[in-house]
Amino acid sequence: MTAGQVGPAIRARGLRKMFGTTVAVSGVDLEVPAGAVLGVLGPNGSGKTTMIRMLLALSRPTAGTVELLGAPVPAAAGEVLPHVGALVEGPGFHPFLSGRENLRRCAAAEPLLPSRTIPDAIERALHRVGLADAAARRYRAYSLGMKQRLGLAAVLLVPRRLVVLDEPANGLDPAGTREVRRIIAELHADGTTVLMSSHLLTEVEATCTHVAVLDHGSLIASGPLAALLDGEAPALDVRTPDSAVAMQALRAAGIGAVACPDGVRVELAGTDPPTVVTLLVGAGVAVHEARRWRTGLDELFAQLTEGNGQ
Amino acid sequence: MTAFGREAGSTPAFGPVRAPLGRLLRSELRWVLHRPRTQVALGLLALVPVLIGIGIVVTDSPAGGLLTQIAGNGLVLPIAALSISLPLLLPLAVTMAAADALAGESAHGTLRGLLLAPVSRTRLVLIKAVGVLAVAVAAVAAVAVLGIVTGLVLLGPSGSTHGLLTLSGTEVGPGSALARVSLAAVWTVGQLAAVGAMALAVSSATEHPLVVLAVVLGGLIVFGVLSAIPALDWLQPVLLTTGAFAIADVLRDPLPLDGLASSSVRAGCYLLIGLGLTLARTATREA
Repeated sequence: MTAGQVGPAIRARGLRKMFGTTVAVSGVDLEVPAGAVLGVLGPNGSGKTTMIRMLLALSRPTAGTVELLGAPVPAAAGEVLPHVGALVEGPGFHPFLSGRENLRRCAAAEPLLPSRTIPDAIERALHRVGLADAAARRYRAYSLGMKQRLGLAAVLLVPRRLVVLDEPANGLDPAGTREVRRIIAELHADGTTVLMSSHLLTEVEATCTHVAVLDHGSLIASGPLAALLDGEAPALDVRTPDSAVAMQALRAAGIGAVACPDGVRVELAGTDPPTVVTLLVGAGVAVHEARRWRTGLDELFAQLTEGNGQ
Repeated sequence: MTAFGREAGSTPAFGPVRAPLGRLLRSELRWVLHRPRTQVALGLLALVPVLIGIGIVVTDSPAGGLLTQIAGNGLVLPIAALSISLPLLLPLAVTMAAADALAGESAHGTLRGLLLAPVSRTRLVLIKAVGVLAVAVAAVAAVAVLGIVTGLVLLGPSGSTHGLLTLSGTEVGPGSALARVSLAAVWTVGQLAAVGAMALAVSSATEHPLVVLAVVLGGLIVFGVLSAIPALDWLQPVLLTTGAFAIADVLRDPLPLDGLASSSVRAGCYLLIGLGLTLARTATREA
């Protein structure tokens, strides 16, 4: 439980990483509140994994500082990482060992796991990711989805305060994707802070409370999911067969609008939905449906990345 | 722990927690010795003395060197087998283990898991060094034990003492003979530890196990070539391969120790340099 925790679970300041002369991550300031589920969105090559690797002390930042659970990283990595579970750059296991044997090897290295509880912890983790039946098979014979599940099982060996998942739904079928969502929801309910990266926008929209969007190594938007969605220009979608008449009436009233395939999208700057609907009905427009238009996250994501990419 | 002061109370404050070292070492040894390639390599190495023994029994015309001493003098066989395996076969087994230890783990993405657990980087090198040493010991034991068994079964012990006929022409008893074989085995492990440490150093700098094999075996071959060039005699003291023939000293009576000692000191220097380089490289390695 995080009841007593005051500071953010992750705090990065001015995080920067250069590979030679290539800037992989530049000046990222990130703060993840304790208990949040943060989705890090970005197209391939946007620096998501590089950022995550720096957060976890796997890679040294060229500049900037990281604090995990209030402790400086990498200085205090030995003390804070036992509380952190991570699946980075895909699952890494030995092909000649079974799933269970691989987890035994992971469990042996977990500082917070007392030796006598290891067998139980392994069986529980295998069960939780739905691998109990395949645990005795060699990792070599696992499908991509099973490999991903085993990676999640390794994260779940110990109760964590922070879980970092790099592309957790990668290679999973729809059922597997639902299970990952369920596991993230369970972690969230337990008060665990979760950071997950994805290029699947629906994944982030379905599971996250907070979003950070990375593009070309820079953080171009971050905040609570709802705030990011509302931050867009509000608009009203009106479904009508008389879009030409509607456009005329709106233009005459000085209200911005664009034609859509089955109606008009009305900008709500300086006006509100009742006014717009009254105006349209008064002009003889048949209003079949009026709905507040919210930018889908993919719309936002596309806008943000396209705007920055030019 | 002022940094965690504000979290004292309802949340468990972090302390310096580490997984028990014994547990990590057991896990590593289990991994190293369960690996199919380790087992195959050990099996093939165990065949070396058996094949030499069979060869001597079948042909009855020894090739030369130590082998001339073996017929009817079975306890020379383990020492001859170690001597024959030392230039390439044993280093191959050890280098393979060292290549998997860091480069191979990195290639599989499992090194990341260990560092995230976390296992400190110094401990990681310690654990990996123990794993490589375990393979060296197992490989030497496989050759020595099968050498003793094959020697006694196929060729029999020497003469009236049921022991060993030394190169100096004297006979020693079975106890002394086994002590001499053990000395040769321990000395060989020392030489291999040096090779293993250098291989770990290369392993810590790459994520391609094949590069480790190529560099280390290539290096040993180059050492062999250099020591064969008379004009480069002055290089001899620094080449690891220089003292390789000291192993035959265990067959002399009385036992001359200076060759064995100086080659062991040289191996110790290589061991320290190798481990030092491994520690330095691992400390800054991006996983």
